[in-house]
Amino acid sequence: MNMLHLITQQLDLGLIVLDSRGCILMCNPWIAKRSNADPVTSIGLRLEEAFGASIDPRIARVVREALDFGWSARLSHALHPTPLPLYAIGGGEERIKQMIDVQPLKQDGLMLCLLQIRDVTETVRRESLLRQQARQLRTDLAKLASAQEELQRRELRFRELARLAPAGLFETDPQGNWAYLNERTSAFTGVSPKEGLGKSWFDCINESERPRVKAQWQIARESAIRFAEEFHCQRPDGKALWLRVEAGPVKDAQNQISGFVGTLLDVSEYRIRAQHIEFRANHDALTSLCNRERFDTRLRAAVSGAQEVGQSFALLFMDLNGFKQVNDEFGHAAGDKVLCTVADRLRRVTRQEDLVARYGGDEFAILLLDVGDEKALLHVVSKVRQAVSLPINAGGFHAQVSASIGIAQFPRDAQDAAALLHFADQKMYESKRQRKAAGETVILPGEQLLDSNTDSWDN
Amino acid sequence: MIEFSELERDALAEAFNLSLGEAAATFSTMVHEEIELSVPTVEVVSHADFVSQVESLLHKTRNMRVASISQCFESDAGFDTRTFLLFPEQGSLEIVRRMLGDDTPIEQITELEQDALAEIGNVIINSCMSSLANLFGARLEGTLPLVETATSSTLLRDRAPDAVMLVARITMSMSAHDISGLVLFVMDVPSLTKFMQELRRVFRMDD
Repeated sequence: MNMLHLITQQLDLGLIVLDSRGCILMCNPWIAKRSNADPVTSIGLRLEEAFGASIDPRIARVVREALDFGWSARLSHALHPTPLPLYAIGGGEERIKQMIDVQPLKQDGLMLCLLQIRDVTETVRRESLLRQQARQLRTDLAKLASAQEELQRRELRFRELARLAPAGLFETDPQGNWAYLNERTSAFTGVSPKEGLGKSWFDCINESERPRVKAQWQIARESAIRFAEEFHCQRPDGKALWLRVEAGPVKDAQNQISGFVGTLLDVSEYRIRAQHIEFRANHDALTSLCNRERFDTRLRAAVSGAQEVGQSFALLFMDLNGFKQVNDEFGHAAGDKVLCTVADRLRRVTRQEDLVARYGGDEFAILLLDVGDEKALLHVVSKVRQAVSLPINAGGFHAQVSASIGIAQFPRDAQDAAALLHFADQKMYESKRQRKAAGETVILPGEQLLDSNTDSWDN
Repeated sequence: MIEFSELERDALAEAFNLSLGEAAATFSTMVHEEIELSVPTVEVVSHADFVSQVESLLHKTRNMRVASISQCFESDAGFDTRTFLLFPEQGSLEIVRRMLGDDTPIEQITELEQDALAEIGNVIINSCMSSLANLFGARLEGTLPLVETATSSTLLRDRAPDAVMLVARITMSMSAHDISGLVLFVMDVPSLTKFMQELRRVFRMDD
């Protein structure tokens, strides 16, 4: 009994034993420390007498059930937060939060009732904290979910834009291997958006241009700068495309280049148009030969080039004899035909590196670079003359013209372009005058003229 | 297999109905909310039948486990029973959280919620037992409620497989929500035999 008494003194649990009338038989110090009820003087009192009237009425009911029917009951904190007027040790106006178990006890044929009271204040505090955290977690999760949704929407938006974009969009790793490419890039290059990943993007560049583009890429990578190049690419259907690539480096958190993102544009049409424009600016529309401006530029370049390396070259200036008559007699169409035929023949009898130009009207100029000795030059002149003097089919009749040719040689005859042209021009007129003086008005056989001193090298 | 006659079943259901009505009234006062408990259906089932009943209850509510509140009773009329109140785990959480007015979603039932559930079970079980005690004019002394969560197979694993049980199905309705549960009386065969005898005596069925 002593031991039992000691234990009840030490329990962290309130114990109250009621007799069969509902009067207190015993209550332990746990109760006394938390209430006004004195463990000694409260003995024999009913609960409401010992604790005051402010007791949860359900306690009386379950005590009655325990004593009368032998039932046990639990009064949870949730439904009865503070059934007894118990307060925290050391004061506090608020009742401690309680959980009470009520059980019948049988002793010597008598029915007693045991009340066990637990202080659940700390549990309530912990659980409320837990709930608070759970609510916070729920809010955070909701935010995360909405952020994820937004991310998905953006991803979808990007994918749709990328699909519809007229430009190729792509991403590569620092080595230039595809990491992403949109449908357009795939259409340009023939690289599959899935299977192509990890393969080098340089593979789509025309082999001869690859080293150049690769070198530029290398520079952009090393200096972390933007990169722009144009190159040829064979489309899957075999058509060659001019593509313009522009790409910029992407850096990771450590400020290292983690790859490139860029665009590809099909500039084929633009390129072709630019070529047309350039051709038209430099060529004669009728004969497609170089025009006078282009020829003058090339001549000046030839002069400075030859000056630097100490080389010589020759300039032929030529005018057609009999052309005016063809024009007057048979019309401009026939004249144009004559000019075109002469242009074609001049192209045929000169080398690739020689430059043939329509200088104006029925005047032609030929730049002969690195022509060799005088004999070789005269041979060329002879071929030119012969080519011009062959009959020309001008639509239903044959026209025949001949060439008056003036030759100027650099550096012997003049030291700059204008002077060279002037010299050749003079020589040509001289030749013309001599021919007229000789009465040869329209047609002169080429071989005869070759022997004429006006065309001779030494003239 | 012991079976109830239709008459016996009606008598039991009526007895439970009265007691459950009282339990509902007690609840309503406690939580200031209208709570209804349905008229129960009563039958005697084997352990295997019972396991499949619990499984179907869980399956219907997409739950894995049941929350069980149980109390042991001893009767001076000569039968002992362990009485269970079973709810699908989520249903039990819903009952408690509705009653406490806090729907913060915490996966597990907390300590305080478990206490509250114990009290809810306690009120229902005591009401049922009181009606039986009244019916038989006997004393039924009960222990404190014990709350556990279990699967259908672990629920009564400490019972002999040949044990029989009396099962009453009930539905709790609160705030337009129906939560189905089972009240279960597990008895050994001698206890059930005695129980039936008492029932027949009370309803004068042997006369």
